[in-house]
Amino acid sequence: MAEPSIFFEEVNERQGIFHRRAFVLGGIAGLGLAALSGRLAQLQLIETQRYEKLSASNQFNFKLMPPPRGLIVDRDGVVLASNRPNFRLMVARDKGSDVPGTLKTLAEFVPLDDKRQARLIKDIANAPKRAPVEVMEDMTWEQFSAINLRGPELPGVSADMGEVRVYPHGGAFAHVIGYVAKVNKDDITPDGPNSDPIMLNPGFRIGKQGVEKAFDLDLRGKPGAQKVEVDANGREVRQDPAGDVPAVPGKEIRLTLDADIQLRAEQVFGEESGAAVMMDCRNGDILCMFSGPSFDANRFVRGLTGAEYKALAEYERKPLFNKALTATYPPGSTFKTMVALAALENGYDPKTQHVCNKTWFWGGRLWHCDEAHGVQDLHTAIATSCDIYFYQCALSVGPDKIARVAKAFGLGTLFDIGIPGQKAGLVPDTAYKRRTFPKDPVWHAGETPSMGIGQGYTHLNPLQLCVQAARLGNGRKALHPRLVRSIGGVEQKSGAAWGDLPFDPKNIDFVRNGMAAVTGAAGEHIAHATGMGAASDLGLGPIKMAGKTGTAQAQGYSGGTGAHGAVGDWKKRDHAWFICFAPYDEPRYAMSVLVEHGGFGATAAAPKAREIMRVALLKDPELRAKIEKPLPLPAAPTGPESGDIVPDLPPTPVDPNSQPGLPQGTPTA
Amino acid sequence: MTVSALTRPGERDRLIVKLGEIDWIFCLTLCLIAGAGGLMLFSINGSSWMPWAAPQLARFVLFFGLMILLALVDLRVWFALAYPIYGAGFLLLLAVLVVGHHALGAQRWLQAGPIQIQPSEIMKIGVVLALARFYHGASTRTARWSWWLLWPAFLILAPVALVAKQPDLGTALLILMTGGVVMILGGLSWRVITAGVLGVAALVPPVVLFGLHGYQRARLLTFLNPESDLSGSGYHIHQSEIALGSGGLLGKGYGLGSQSQLNFLPEKQTDFIFSALAEEFGFVGCVSIILLYAAVIFMALRTAYLAHSHFGRLAAAGITVTFALYVLINGAMVMGLAPVVGVPMPLLSYGGTVMLTVMVGFGLVLSVRVHRYSEVTSGKGSLM
Repeated sequence: MAEPSIFFEEVNERQGIFHRRAFVLGGIAGLGLAALSGRLAQLQLIETQRYEKLSASNQFNFKLMPPPRGLIVDRDGVVLASNRPNFRLMVARDKGSDVPGTLKTLAEFVPLDDKRQARLIKDIANAPKRAPVEVMEDMTWEQFSAINLRGPELPGVSADMGEVRVYPHGGAFAHVIGYVAKVNKDDITPDGPNSDPIMLNPGFRIGKQGVEKAFDLDLRGKPGAQKVEVDANGREVRQDPAGDVPAVPGKEIRLTLDADIQLRAEQVFGEESGAAVMMDCRNGDILCMFSGPSFDANRFVRGLTGAEYKALAEYERKPLFNKALTATYPPGSTFKTMVALAALENGYDPKTQHVCNKTWFWGGRLWHCDEAHGVQDLHTAIATSCDIYFYQCALSVGPDKIARVAKAFGLGTLFDIGIPGQKAGLVPDTAYKRRTFPKDPVWHAGETPSMGIGQGYTHLNPLQLCVQAARLGNGRKALHPRLVRSIGGVEQKSGAAWGDLPFDPKNIDFVRNGMAAVTGAAGEHIAHATGMGAASDLGLGPIKMAGKTGTAQAQGYSGGTGAHGAVGDWKKRDHAWFICFAPYDEPRYAMSVLVEHGGFGATAAAPKAREIMRVALLKDPELRAKIEKPLPLPAAPTGPESGDIVPDLPPTPVDPNSQPGLPQGTPTA
Repeated sequence: MTVSALTRPGERDRLIVKLGEIDWIFCLTLCLIAGAGGLMLFSINGSSWMPWAAPQLARFVLFFGLMILLALVDLRVWFALAYPIYGAGFLLLLAVLVVGHHALGAQRWLQAGPIQIQPSEIMKIGVVLALARFYHGASTRTARWSWWLLWPAFLILAPVALVAKQPDLGTALLILMTGGVVMILGGLSWRVITAGVLGVAALVPPVVLFGLHGYQRARLLTFLNPESDLSGSGYHIHQSEIALGSGGLLGKGYGLGSQSQLNFLPEKQTDFIFSALAEEFGFVGCVSIILLYAAVIFMALRTAYLAHSHFGRLAAAGITVTFALYVLINGAMVMGLAPVVGVPMPLLSYGGTVMLTVMVGFGLVLSVRVHRYSEVTSGKGSLM
């Protein structure tokens, strides 16, 4: 104050107040700063480990690396399903990226029409930010490198090398192996293995059918992870290879199938509709399971167009069905083997004779046969496939006893072969009639003759008939079919590890002899035998096949009427069956062949069975040694014994030298 | 130079003497803090001088010179300009409401050619000056409790209302709190202080519920329960705490803070630069910086303590309070102890506006120190 003031005291007083309060203020500020330090100590000294973890989880991301899918191989290791490299092009949206512009630029390098571009723009907009959407697969190397070169100018674009499933044999295995296809929204489940985030990986595929579907988790493997440093926007800043987790490849699945046999089946069937199943009579291994016509599974991997799918789904020969498991038809005359065995098991005298005059009047109606076979006993009736004999034979046994035998041979049974889609079919008996027809619960005697010739209610699938043939061929064991030999090197349960057939081996041998007589394998000649001599002659010297034909009516019950055989409208023709095993005297391989609407079993099914069987027999080293036994020297060299070729048979070579898929050439003279 | 020499009339007005009176240790402390800020701005942009570190340091050098110049300005000039500065700031605040520049939903700037003027910053100093000017001329009795106090209350509340309207709640609260503290230092009755504190406490819930903008309320609620919304409003605080905590005792190392380098830390160059520093230099670095801030606050407060004039005391103390509030609010915010209010860490954070305010304020503080023996007359001051 410039002038002396009377309020001097007061001036000092307010200075004092200021000093005191400023002191308190300083204290408060000090406390505040101390509190901050305390909080820092809490965060940085006490809880630091927790925050270090949070920081690391911010900094590092793990990018999923899809595992290589497990191979599927045949019994010898021939690859049936493998993976090939696939150059993929992907686009992701990000902050400030111009997706339409990017796609337009990409269209200069790869074919991308406007329609596809418009769809991709929608897909990319719907996908999460920075989630790559597949734009193109299977780029050529030139396209791949061109895009990689331009990469830095194209934000959000990435090109990488993935793997995609390939089925080198196309359609031959399509029904058994199935196929993989892109993951659908419905495939993803909230928990369980299908909740795995790898399912969202672009280009990831899962098994949709057959072995690929049934063993999807084994084949899939475990995804690996690539450790990458990312910024707050999720952009990859750096890779950290030391932190990578390698992917675990899927397990290899070895099937019991044989590629050579299966491929032959595909050739033999061509466009014909049907199925062929072959089993090893000694252990139940399924060597062939073909369903025709087939389709190229590789098309499903890429994704079918609507038109392609429609064409497959609407084709009357139903290429998408695995007829070996799903096609159930009356077994026709092949069922007579079961009727005969049931009769023998129940004390029927095989010498019992019936006379066949082409027609037989019984129960107020006329029953037919293909021709007048004359006097027949059980053995010749199997060989001639005489319906009139079996009508009467079945009547003397009764439906329940026949059904018991048929079921013991696997008919009407579902087998666990690992893949889904079997239809059980039906072997009827009186209990079935009671259960199913409450209004008419009685088994009428008139229904038994039909059952005796494999018609009526009975309908069965080709796998069951093959099991039947294999059990007949084995003669002792109740073999089960086995399709998957090993998963990841772990051997699966053998088809022979089951109980014995509950029948007298002598009776089974009787039926087998009957089947040998059908084909004339043992050299006996029975008048009116089904005319199988040529159709089932393997042309492999001492190796002969025994079998039984079947011709199942596609419509109507009255035998011998209407369109019979391979004439008329395809859809109304009879189904042709053939079951067989070879060699007849020491069976190793058993087969069933179904030709849908093929006509007669003897002309449509048996020749196919013969061709397929030849491959199996020639691949068997012991049998091949027998076939190729050198002839005594001074004698003039002759070719292998081959029967006459019936002209109306498919023009397939019977000379073993020209068989495809055989490891060696000509038999040594 | 002897003490006796300084008592000679006119001796203290010599430039060299004035320069000698400047608290150079104080200045050095400011340089250390600003240097640390420049260092961090260099680091967090991937070891690059641009666009943050170099301009920031250049600005600091410029404003440092300005501060020294202002330190040489006679306290009587500050005194004379107290109300005019306040008045000019007030008019500019009004102008902002009318023609202000919109940014992020708020109206804070006036654009004058290339220069952006943020009047609320001028008011931070203007309010302190005006209050000091008023209390300089007020008697103890007046300052304790009288009708005359309506004037300082108006001086505070009028700009606070205008700033809050912009809306810039952080600055408004800062001005309100600074003004309140200056009134307390001026000698407000304890009873009134207690009543005021209780009144404010009672006012908080209704203001929060009805008087806030949506984003302001969201920030506050997020602060109360940060884990509720980690991807939205809680994200900033959560990431800041991760940066702080993961720094540990010694930090991740210079240039190696993943939270800041990879942009997980939001606003890393401005509001959250302290977190970036904490991540790279750890507890040791943080405490060092806090000690530097404590030193600045106590040196400035000591200047207020030494001043002979009441105007000087209150002006220096008011500036110190503003600065201390900046430090405490920002520190509490980045550590998750206060809601996100957009208050930067003075001298450390990138940005010219707050740095200018702080350096001009410290120019005033240094001027108070240089002129601590000056007699500031008010003509009628002691008569009131």
